[in-house]
Amino acid sequence: MSGETGTHSKGTGLRVYAFAYLLFLYAPVALLPIFAFNDSQIIAFPLSGFTDRWFGELWEAEPLHESLMNSLFVGITSSVLATLLGICAARASTRYEFPGKKPMMGFVMLPLVLPEIIVGVAMINIIVQLGMDLSLWTVILGHVLICTPFAIAILSAAFASLDRSLEEASLDLGETRMGTFLRVTLPLVMPGIVSSLLICFTISLDEFIIAFFLTGADTTLPVYIWGQLRFPGRLPSVFALGTLMLLASLLLLTLGEYFRRRSARKTGIEHTAGGLV
Amino acid sequence: MTVALDEAASEAARPQTKRKARGPSDARRGLTLMSPVFGYALLLLAIPLGATIAMSFWSQDFLTFDRSGTLENYAAIWTDDMPDHWTGIFGSYWTENLYRALLLRSLSVSLFVTAATLLLAFPIAYYVSFHVRKNKGLWIFLITIPFWTSYLLRVFLWKVILGYEGVVNASLMALGVIDEPLTSINYSINAVVLTLAHAWAPFAILPIFVSLEKIDRSLLEAAEDLGDGPIRRFFRVTLPLAMPGVVAAALIVFIPTIGDYVTPKLLGGKDGLMISNMIEVQFKKGNDQPLGSALAVSSMMIVASISVLFVWMNRKYLRARPS
Amino acid sequence: MAAPIITLEKVEKRFGDVVALGGVSGEIRAGEFFSLLGPSGCGKTTLLRCIAGFEDPTSGAIILDGKHMEGVPANHRPTNMVFQSYAIFPHLSVAENVGYGLKKQRISRAERAQRVEEALAMVDLAGYGHRASHALSGGQRQRVALARALVMRPKVLLLDEPLSALDKKLREQMQVELRRLQRAVGITFILVTHDQEEALTMSDRIAVMFGGQIAQLDTPQNLYRRPMSRQVASFIGFMNFLDAEIRADGGHSIDLDVAALGRVEVPSSQRPGKPNGRKVSVGIRPEMLTILMTDSETAEREIEAEVVDAAYYGDMTYYDVRFPGVAEPAQISMRNTAGRRILEAGDRARVGWSSESIVVLD
Repeated sequence: MSGETGTHSKGTGLRVYAFAYLLFLYAPVALLPIFAFNDSQIIAFPLSGFTDRWFGELWEAEPLHESLMNSLFVGITSSVLATLLGICAARASTRYEFPGKKPMMGFVMLPLVLPEIIVGVAMINIIVQLGMDLSLWTVILGHVLICTPFAIAILSAAFASLDRSLEEASLDLGETRMGTFLRVTLPLVMPGIVSSLLICFTISLDEFIIAFFLTGADTTLPVYIWGQLRFPGRLPSVFALGTLMLLASLLLLTLGEYFRRRSARKTGIEHTAGGLV
Repeated sequence: MTVALDEAASEAARPQTKRKARGPSDARRGLTLMSPVFGYALLLLAIPLGATIAMSFWSQDFLTFDRSGTLENYAAIWTDDMPDHWTGIFGSYWTENLYRALLLRSLSVSLFVTAATLLLAFPIAYYVSFHVRKNKGLWIFLITIPFWTSYLLRVFLWKVILGYEGVVNASLMALGVIDEPLTSINYSINAVVLTLAHAWAPFAILPIFVSLEKIDRSLLEAAEDLGDGPIRRFFRVTLPLAMPGVVAAALIVFIPTIGDYVTPKLLGGKDGLMISNMIEVQFKKGNDQPLGSALAVSSMMIVASISVLFVWMNRKYLRARPS
Repeated sequence: MAAPIITLEKVEKRFGDVVALGGVSGEIRAGEFFSLLGPSGCGKTTLLRCIAGFEDPTSGAIILDGKHMEGVPANHRPTNMVFQSYAIFPHLSVAENVGYGLKKQRISRAERAQRVEEALAMVDLAGYGHRASHALSGGQRQRVALARALVMRPKVLLLDEPLSALDKKLREQMQVELRRLQRAVGITFILVTHDQEEALTMSDRIAVMFGGQIAQLDTPQNLYRRPMSRQVASFIGFMNFLDAEIRADGGHSIDLDVAALGRVEVPSSQRPGKPNGRKVSVGIRPEMLTILMTDSETAEREIEAEVVDAAYYGDMTYYDVRFPGVAEPAQISMRNTAGRRILEAGDRARVGWSSESIVVLD
């Protein structure tokens, strides 16, 4: 496309830079599987042989299993709640005019521009003042707060790309408002809902600082990993865990993209309704 | 002026074309839908933030709070007087005001990280948008893959690379380039900046890429046709049109890095710590929540004012452009 | 005459400060093909959406088949709509689209399938039911939208610029088919369009709208031949205007003094708008003026004119001619019959006309 515009000569220099930059992006991640399979407790070169015992250790680490289950619980609950809230807000902002719409929307998007430590501090203050106990539910409260703006952004795009006359056609054909939402609106914004669930789940699963502040006796996975980082002997199995998590999220990502493309093919809508990328 | 007139004209035409039905029932429906989200944010953001601001004017003695308002916490942060009650958690060799120093350091680190990330990211976004023809999606996918690793581990892996016995030092020593491990690359501000610039790279690349993609290529051809060389064309057409993406990227990188806790803790050493580490200390070990709150409020104010400045500069810049 | 299926009583609709409909009244008869014609922004779509129930009138009443429609939502009205974008549900097949509204009704599955198939056959799409709706062409989408509305057996079918997205050839074909379909099913059709030719060829009656008001509600022939105002006259086809003064109004006929043309006596029926005052203007269509090429050609009245411009269109030639004492040239359209000469700019011409072709306007 740009070849015709005479910038082709600059391409080679940029190309070299681009590959160097990719190397920079991948350098740390590449170490993850290397040390996960390295037969030494010490994380350093030279490597000392292949082993899969660090993966075996993961099987026996009870606290790890617990924190993983906690994180899944927090992630699923937070993403479902944030997406439900997001559906309401996205629907309100794309379909209706009401007094105070702009400031209200701005306010609910605020967590997007607040450093997470501030959210953590603010929430722990109120929780301490109210005398509540810290638990996974307090973490969920925090995660729903920071995930909702992402859900709103994704779902607003999905709702906005929906032709309004489709809903009117449904009403015109005798369907109720509720029936219209279920039979027309929901199926058409489904890719956006799936994207929102995936993104919110990923954010929650990876979130450390709010969980660090708000977690009680039950820890989430990042808080568990943070604790393990202090013990050099545990590092290889932490790396093994990281490798598995990377594979899991890539699998999830691929699945999400597959379903998005499938539904796009089915409905003939290309690049609408809020895909992942 | 012309913009205002156009808007007025389209406003008049709206009932016919956009047909916005806005009866009172519509407003009620909108408000009903909005209320759960708004209520949630009110309960879990507005009230906690309010409580934090209130608490920053309190003082704490072990477990009891003195709720009569005081400016003591802010004085401790912003004046030269050293507060009596903080002890050498961060090292007693500090002679200047540690809180203020940490705040200013956080600010300068995050500004530096923002600049470095944008400068590193722009050419990549430009390359993918303008020079990659078939596999743009693949490139974007490749750029985002590393960031599906746990954030904690990504940061920690830089410690593995830059550490005293890390990959860089071990390799350089094995090659005989150096006799002793380098200390300048680990546990310092440099390490923090490098790690953060890596951690936020895709968040800078994606918005810039999107804004570059939106540029109508015929505008570039027009600039060339009117006599601009590649460099003049870049600065007169491409960069100005990509500016919204650049500003978005700047905000996306700047805001979270100023409050980052993990990176300075793992890679900063004693001289590389930032304000979040101090806030955490005040809330957990130091047990001075009012002071911690005051630190949080102060950093929030810094974030807010710099962000407003970014946005304002962008607006001014956009408005100054002839339309 | 058939009873009205829809009665509009001072229907008014405001969007904030903008008046979209300024008190529209009128009757639409059962079984007729009715068009709402006007430029964009005239309120025709708003009126249609008020009838469908997508907008609530600010004041006034819409009476549909004897029932007040106030407070009746779109899904309870005996109307169905063909949308401008067709609004075909992209996630449903053709048959699922057509059967969408039937699913709500208590009809057996077999009867539903039969009615869908009938509706598809009616729009020449028999056997297309299993197709994915996004794979259809523009014309096919339009047929699906029609079938989907007709299968509901509405009292009134509303069509919101249904042909504007089609290319010229397909549009003309669909005009004929829509008209045929309307005659076959006998349902009242209300068509919104900005295309005067479309409205003239398809409609039994047309309401011409400007600025939220109905300027004239009449048959196509009356609209063309006896427009009630200059605005209607120039919106539908082309009209030459000349200043005139009423000398005498004799009840059956009017005695006029028209610029350049001189004294004319026209029947009172040629004054449909009943303009007040003595200073009026008269209109005459380009095809009602004839250039007399030979001495043997004559007309009721004749006038000398100068050709200012001639545009050759193959089947037709369009002339701009200047009458003595009138600054604005008049347009004349002439069919290019065998042997008929084409004049050039600067030529003198004898222009023939008749007093019957003159319409008196405000």
